[in-house]
Amino acid sequence: MAMPALPAARYPNSELEKKMGALAIKNVTKSFGDTHILKGIDIEIDDGQFLILVGPSGCGKSTLMNIIAGLEGPTTGEVHIGGRVVNNISPKDRDIAMVFQSYALYPTMNVRQNIAFGLETRKVPKKEQDEVIQRVAKMLQMDHLLDRKPGQLSGGQRQRVAMGRALARDPILFLFDEPLSNLDAKLRVEMRTEIKQLHQRLKTTMVYVTHDQIEAMTLGDRIAVMKDGIIQQFGSPQEIYERPSNLFVASFIGSPSMNFIDCHLAEQNGQIGVSLQTDSDARFLPLPNGQRLAGRVGQEVILGVRPEQLDVAHSDDNVAAISIKVNLTEPTGPDTMIFTKINGKEVVARVHPRDAKGPGETMRLALDMSKVVLFDPKTELRLE
Amino acid sequence: MANNNKWARILVYAVLIYAVIYYLLPLYVMITTSVKTTEEIRTGNLLSLPMHITLDAWRKAWGTACTGVQCTGLSLYFWNSVRMVFPAVIISTTMGAINGYILSKWKFYGSEIVFAMLMYGLYIPFQVLLLPMAQTEGYLGIAGTTPGLIFVHVVCGIASTTLFFRNYYVGIPDELINAARLDGAGFWRIFFRVVLPMSLPIVMVTFIWQFTQIWNDFLFGLVFSSGDSQPITVGLNNMANTSTSVKEYNVDMAGAIIAALPTIFVYVVAGKYFVRGLAAGAVKG
Repeated sequence: MAMPALPAARYPNSELEKKMGALAIKNVTKSFGDTHILKGIDIEIDDGQFLILVGPSGCGKSTLMNIIAGLEGPTTGEVHIGGRVVNNISPKDRDIAMVFQSYALYPTMNVRQNIAFGLETRKVPKKEQDEVIQRVAKMLQMDHLLDRKPGQLSGGQRQRVAMGRALARDPILFLFDEPLSNLDAKLRVEMRTEIKQLHQRLKTTMVYVTHDQIEAMTLGDRIAVMKDGIIQQFGSPQEIYERPSNLFVASFIGSPSMNFIDCHLAEQNGQIGVSLQTDSDARFLPLPNGQRLAGRVGQEVILGVRPEQLDVAHSDDNVAAISIKVNLTEPTGPDTMIFTKINGKEVVARVHPRDAKGPGETMRLALDMSKVVLFDPKTELRLE
Repeated sequence: MANNNKWARILVYAVLIYAVIYYLLPLYVMITTSVKTTEEIRTGNLLSLPMHITLDAWRKAWGTACTGVQCTGLSLYFWNSVRMVFPAVIISTTMGAINGYILSKWKFYGSEIVFAMLMYGLYIPFQVLLLPMAQTEGYLGIAGTTPGLIFVHVVCGIASTTLFFRNYYVGIPDELINAARLDGAGFWRIFFRVVLPMSLPIVMVTFIWQFTQIWNDFLFGLVFSSGDSQPITVGLNNMANTSTSVKEYNVDMAGAIIAALPTIFVYVVAGKYFVRGLAAGAVKG
């Protein structure tokens, strides 16, 4: 490694060390022979932040989580927790707690024993153990479950106990490995809120692995979008939503997904913009600040438009409005999704139900050209 | 349709009843013969019920029947078997549990090869082992003793006990082990506190399997024991082969039942775990 190893504990026993709950992952790779799972991961977060690792299955997010936990070792690179390099520190000495996807509750122990197990192995006195169990049970409202075995609990209750077990340890770093993926939809939303409240109360640094972009958006302070062992983008949820760094991130985050429209960058009347064609209209829509793309005029680009950026046009904003033919509608309650075609590509618009027209009818949609993004079709990167 | 069903049902029951009779008839003959007198056996029918029930044959088989030159019955051999079977079963089951735990949850470089080679042990006919084993026992100075016989049974049992436990433990999620590691538990604490308490079904399966195998073994008992350490299977054989003027079928039958009682007892007491455990182990493997 090129990077010099930091001393094992830079702030031994100081107040500063306790504050350094932050996590830093420096150039971490993981390979099994010729299979490269992680190809150079760099992440750094501040104390108390909520980091989301999100990506499709096989992107390496769970491997990265295991490396942070110490259950697997990195092939190269360093993991820093609380300001010290933990590469050679065993999982139990990293001062972390983890909530597993399957909850991993000890089936032969009751809830109380499940929570106490980690305290016992750390030789916490019995009296203190009881206090911790009481505190955790109260925090998660599960006093009445303490004497039950995991087999006698519902999925949501097991989830709660698994979190309780992690909370009992009062670590400097919490790890969540897809904790909600085994719950039904309603419970998932409830627990999501509860985890967020928990984080706001505890202010402990958390790392959360998920493949669900909604969980990523709602929970995270910082999101690392991963694919094929590479971090595609690392930033705040809003940054990632509004300024996705490439086509993959743009399509992965957001539901319904961002629309991608193939078009030509052209110049008309001194303005740079794109030409759009629908079944009932054809327009040239100029881009604000289009001059920055002057060098690309005549080239193919992909126009990225979020469904909510296609809204019903009112008479006064006809600059960036286009008439479309409705192919299909999907009412969701608060919004109605309008399916149509622009430049031969299927496009979804999210409009107020009051404004929605039926299939076969035409309606005028306004494009918020200040918010759309452009991608290079070859590199798939966003054009600045 | 209903009629068709009825005949099919009758056919099924007929086959089942036939099978039951086929299996139970020998047991019936054994039990009835063992409580008859030699006189009645000679004059009567094999299948007839005994006219006078007498336990003389049982007493003789247990205490006074001749096995070769000595006439002390099977009791000596029975207790030899008991002294041999419990240590052999407990040691081989324990080793199988630890092996299975390592081979499923603490894999190391080459552990799959170790497992494959252990499984090879399942396919080696035990007759092949006789000579090298006899030599080994000679070197170790335990030839012809009960510890020597226990040693053989443990060595030959490890392959199957390891297979049982390994396949059962593969079904225990790795996340559980990881959770315990994060909780600060090490190799042994995880084994004793997390894994072993979940193992009752497979412990019972292995216990029954090993108990039956070792108790019923004749080959090793015959080869690797001498005089005062011979197990009951050898004793029964000696008793049945000791020729006197009259062939005492009732004593032979009583002896055979005595020899079979412990395994029957184990099945009756722990049999439900056997089926349950086999099913549990079969989920993954």
